[in-house]
Amino acid sequence: MKKITNYLVTFLLANILCITVLAQNTTISGNVRNSATKENAGAVSVTVKDGTTGTYTDDKGNFKLSVKSLPVTLLVSSIGYELQEITVTSTAKLQVEFVPSNALGQEVVVSASRVPQRILESPVSIERINATAIRNAPAVSYYDVLSTLKGVDVTTSSLTFKTPTTRGFSGSGSARVTQLMDGMDNQLPGLNFSVGSVIGLTELDIDNVELLPGASSALYGPGGMNGTILIASKNPFKYQGLSFQVKAGVMNTDKRYRSASPYHNWSMRWAKKVSEKFAFKIGTEIVAAKDWLGYDNRNYERNGTLGSIKAGDRASDPNYDGVNVYGDETTTDIRTAVLNAIGASAAPFLKNFIDTLNNGRPINVSRTGYAESDIVNPNTINYKVSGALHYKITPKIEAVLAGHWGTGNTVYTGSERYSLRDFKIGQYKFELNSKNWFLKAFTTQENAGESFNATVTTRLTNEAWKPSGGSTGWFSQYAQTYLGARLNGATDFNAQTVARQTADVGRPAAGSAAFKTLFDKVRSVPISAGGGLFVDKSDLYMVEGQYNLSSITNKFADILVGANFKQYALNSEGTLFADQNQKININEFGGYIQATRSFLEDKIKVALSGRYDKNENFEGRFTPRATAVVKVAKNNNIRVSYQTAYRFPTTQQQWIDLGVGSNTRLLGGAEYFNTTYQLSTKPTFELAALPTNTSAYKVNKFKAESVATYEIGYKGLLLSDKLLIDAYGYFGEYKDFLTRTLLIQPTSGNVSDVLNALANKIPVSNVGNIYSVPVNSSSKVKTFGWGFSVDYRLPLNFALSGNVYSDELKDVPANFVAFFSTPKYRTNLSIANTGFGPRKRLGFNVSYRWQDAFLYQADFANDFLPAVHTVDAQVSLKLPKTKSILKVGANNLLNQYYVNAPGNSIVGGLYYVSFAYNVF
Amino acid sequence: MKLINKIKNNAALFVVAGVLFASCNKVPETPIPSVIPPNPASGISLSATITANADDSLFNRLVIRTGSQAVLNNTLNRYTVYVPNNAAMRNFVNAASGGMIPVASPDAVHSNFLNTTLPIASAGGIVQYNISPQVVTSATITSTFPNFAYPSIINPNPAASALLRLNNYPSKRSNGAWLNNIPLVPGIDVAAANGVIHHTAAVTTPPSAFLWSRINTDADMTYLRAAILRADSGTTATPGTLNSANLQSVLSEFGPNLTVFAPTNAAFSATLTGAIYQGLVAQGFPVGAGTLATATALATATDANGPTVFRNPILFSVLTAQVVKGIVVYHILGDRAFSVNCPTTTTNVRTLLNSAVPTHPGIGITATFTGPGVTAITVKGVGNPSAFPVSINPTPNPFGASDQHFVNGVLHKLNGVLLPQ
Repeated sequence: MKKITNYLVTFLLANILCITVLAQNTTISGNVRNSATKENAGAVSVTVKDGTTGTYTDDKGNFKLSVKSLPVTLLVSSIGYELQEITVTSTAKLQVEFVPSNALGQEVVVSASRVPQRILESPVSIERINATAIRNAPAVSYYDVLSTLKGVDVTTSSLTFKTPTTRGFSGSGSARVTQLMDGMDNQLPGLNFSVGSVIGLTELDIDNVELLPGASSALYGPGGMNGTILIASKNPFKYQGLSFQVKAGVMNTDKRYRSASPYHNWSMRWAKKVSEKFAFKIGTEIVAAKDWLGYDNRNYERNGTLGSIKAGDRASDPNYDGVNVYGDETTTDIRTAVLNAIGASAAPFLKNFIDTLNNGRPINVSRTGYAESDIVNPNTINYKVSGALHYKITPKIEAVLAGHWGTGNTVYTGSERYSLRDFKIGQYKFELNSKNWFLKAFTTQENAGESFNATVTTRLTNEAWKPSGGSTGWFSQYAQTYLGARLNGATDFNAQTVARQTADVGRPAAGSAAFKTLFDKVRSVPISAGGGLFVDKSDLYMVEGQYNLSSITNKFADILVGANFKQYALNSEGTLFADQNQKININEFGGYIQATRSFLEDKIKVALSGRYDKNENFEGRFTPRATAVVKVAKNNNIRVSYQTAYRFPTTQQQWIDLGVGSNTRLLGGAEYFNTTYQLSTKPTFELAALPTNTSAYKVNKFKAESVATYEIGYKGLLLSDKLLIDAYGYFGEYKDFLTRTLLIQPTSGNVSDVLNALANKIPVSNVGNIYSVPVNSSSKVKTFGWGFSVDYRLPLNFALSGNVYSDELKDVPANFVAFFSTPKYRTNLSIANTGFGPRKRLGFNVSYRWQDAFLYQADFANDFLPAVHTVDAQVSLKLPKTKSILKVGANNLLNQYYVNAPGNSIVGGLYYVSFAYNVF
Repeated sequence: MKLINKIKNNAALFVVAGVLFASCNKVPETPIPSVIPPNPASGISLSATITANADDSLFNRLVIRTGSQAVLNNTLNRYTVYVPNNAAMRNFVNAASGGMIPVASPDAVHSNFLNTTLPIASAGGIVQYNISPQVVTSATITSTFPNFAYPSIINPNPAASALLRLNNYPSKRSNGAWLNNIPLVPGIDVAAANGVIHHTAAVTTPPSAFLWSRINTDADMTYLRAAILRADSGTTATPGTLNSANLQSVLSEFGPNLTVFAPTNAAFSATLTGAIYQGLVAQGFPVGAGTLATATALATATDANGPTVFRNPILFSVLTAQVVKGIVVYHILGDRAFSVNCPTTTTNVRTLLNSAVPTHPGIGITATFTGPGVTAITVKGVGNPSAFPVSINPTPNPFGASDQHFVNGVLHKLNGVLLPQ
């Protein structure tokens, strides 16, 4: 580490010292305003043509710029305005009338090739949202805007926990999508989900969001199997002044799941350019609301990854296991657990009778559970604070010291539902960047706070109140009462009812002080000590550098090189990882190179990229990428690409060691677990293979999963540049899928015990220990899809846009659970205007989204979800005198509840008004 | 302006279309209904069904008298009722009245007896013993040896446990079906809303005594009693507590479910005389009538406590506790086999001896039927040259010799001692 630091320091000094600082001695000042509305235009770029000097207008539209001498030609530019060239001959204050532009396709993206380029010339599919789009969107959160992009699906676990994915494999907290916030990967090192929507940038600090659908490891490293999202914040040199926004809204208006409740979102950003060298910004945002609720009371048949919804409820099914009901996962066959023993010894005269009960079949019974609303804190609070210091060491080299810290409550769906309470997550970065290079180091500091697994904690709460097992345990009381009732002639149904009533006598009522006391006690005890509390304080450290060698190599090709080093420092005190007796650090490094060359007078641009990454626990991986852009006409390009991506198993897939009740334990794939749990040396069997294959389970080498995709696309402007069309088609092949399988180690060592349990539908956890282990599937699956979008600029600032896209999975072997979880078809349609009416002060946006019904497969639950339609809308009024915008909007205007993953929160309408000051 | 209006109209159309589509969302939240049997059951209850059948009127008299109508009207529960038809009830009244009420008497007479003279406890016992708290159709009645124990709704000792029940034992074979040893007669599987009714050819009465009470008091089983006490040497029977190592306890307590082939005194003394004679000869006694007479005297000697043969120190080395216990348990089955449950072709059946000698072939049992009734049963031990007959007399305890029904088993008198080797 020290050696690396020395190299870095030397590298920086070499770059800094070789820069000649030029003296500036004439100052030009001026003001830029919108020619139509006469509003001052902030954050407008003002640069000297053919020079290196430049600045931005402040929030009042003013700028000052030092030049060597006059006259000079200034370039005044900003997205949404026409580029202006102004020749300045004197130091008199300039008044620039900036003409709004309705032109499409002018935006510049960085992420597609790691160098700036027009979005029209991107070699791969890319979507971009700028601050204006966020400001004009009907969505209450910028993460919701992502769902309107072509190719995107957003899984909503709760109000503030949203996970975007592309091209299939949606999922709450999906680890197949890389989210980079100002270059920092915001996937948590311990809990493994991305926290962009929880502790990411505040809405006022978003400059733009770029989305690369599909595979992108060649540029951004392992993880980007299904997309990379790059969120860039506003530079304080460019975006200055005080901004704030207050949103007040209301949710749950029809009181269907909980009473109507307010929604609050206050955010503030203040940035100041203290001098030409130094600027800073601070920002904060707080969201407070009563969250959406997981309220799926349907009955779930747990069967590993092949679970499904089944008929029945608490009243009709003694073994009821509600999707969003917790504690009822504890189940047993009271025949084998209790009744057979009664018949064998205590009451042999009842043996025959016991054998007749339920026609001799297992009498599976689950404990009485609690609804999600009973155990998850309804108050979702999300507080973010961030700040950055920017210092220009030279006009071309900028140092950035930035920090983001967030805390709050939210709910997340993984293998179970998790209540993340009072979590605290910080990301801190130091970065040096120049036109041709950057070097950055950042860390993610994770503290799970009082977060707990809702399922495990509620099961343990039940145990704390009354143990399930033992001669006086809940199941024994239940079974004896059931038996007694049957002996009195009660039907099975009535006997089960009275048995539950008896066993539940004294059970703390949901919402009672007794329940709260008990539940709080259990959730405050670390998992390692028998409670439900995560003690996760894992960290991530990463350094990364990149150099653009084009100035040296441009005769041959534009060449870009980069490298990074990453260390995960896991620390869960034995509550999540197998780190109770050992420290677990995972090191990973990688490097990449990209060469780009144009042919035929820039009509064809070809880029070749390659990246090598090595994780200390896995073999190194090389991921190539080849792209080409063919300019078929001005502003009309065809792109083709071959991309690869892979991901090393997450830290949890490597090192998790978590008991989830019923003799079931989630294990990682590290060799440690094979040794510790004797998976190779004790008789161990794969449940999915039984009863057909009774061979002992063979532990295979644990590998990274990978995907290769081929894509062709077109992006172009038509109809006098008023129509932007983007279309793509792709084909991808996945291999070494990371999934999980259930193993069983029979207590007796005999597989016959397991087979007998399976044949008689007895919970196999009664006859052995179950381990859920990560494995690579030997099956290869193929995906293909397409997308098409149009953006059309109408007169008077009206804009129509729409997209439709499709993703499909092919060649899926029978019974193979791919977790594709993506609708075949989706579409987004919108009509908007950013300025119409008197002085163009009115704006509106109405958008409609539809997604097809689809099969959702996840560790938590599988289900065939119905189609979803939603309408979002907003109307805004600009108040130029106070530089403010008033907005009235609605997410899910018609309050049509929907879920986009089984067991996730049911999302309804959110109606809000907002007042924003100085947003740009 | 035209253009603006057009756009406005289109936007309005767009919103309306969105509204129409968006009103279609379905939230998967409500449990899928499952099929639950009607609760309470609809239709005619067991009580009403019995009431409606004229041939059940005498049994119904007991039902009414004992307040059992409420039970049989309870459509929340399910029952099986074994109803003795009126002919069976008349025979019962005749027997219960000591012959004072002839079978041919008018039903009003029988009914009056059942309503006034028969002790209420007996009436309640009969009704409750003939009710099982579950539906047992003829199809579900077992045909495997010996039978299947279904609980009745009699709890013999509620204070001890709410789970105690006296069982009844339906069974069927190719030549008939029975409750215990009572044949079922036409009128089976009569469906009611809350259960099913079968008719029986006689009244099945609940047992009230224990096997030991018969063995302990039957003058023709004093040898068996003495043998059991000898087998129990070193162990103690504590009344009210089941000591499974003590045969007297096993035969005296609630819980076990046995069949005892009880050798008569004559059978015991004959077998013991031979065994003692051989033992004496082995000890040096001369072969001949003298020694035989000595052996006979030893085998048949009695005092106030019964036969002395198992208490005589001279014979301790011959009739060790282990040997005697081996012989006694060889006469006991771990199931309750009524005569009608016995196989028609010789079949080896395991005995309690198998708990000590698992591979022992058991005893061979053969039954001879005439219609649904058993006319002969023979039982043979491995060490016996030939089988011994059971005394067929199913008159209820204490008067009969076969199918003597007790709380913890059934007893058949056997004219021989079964030898395990």
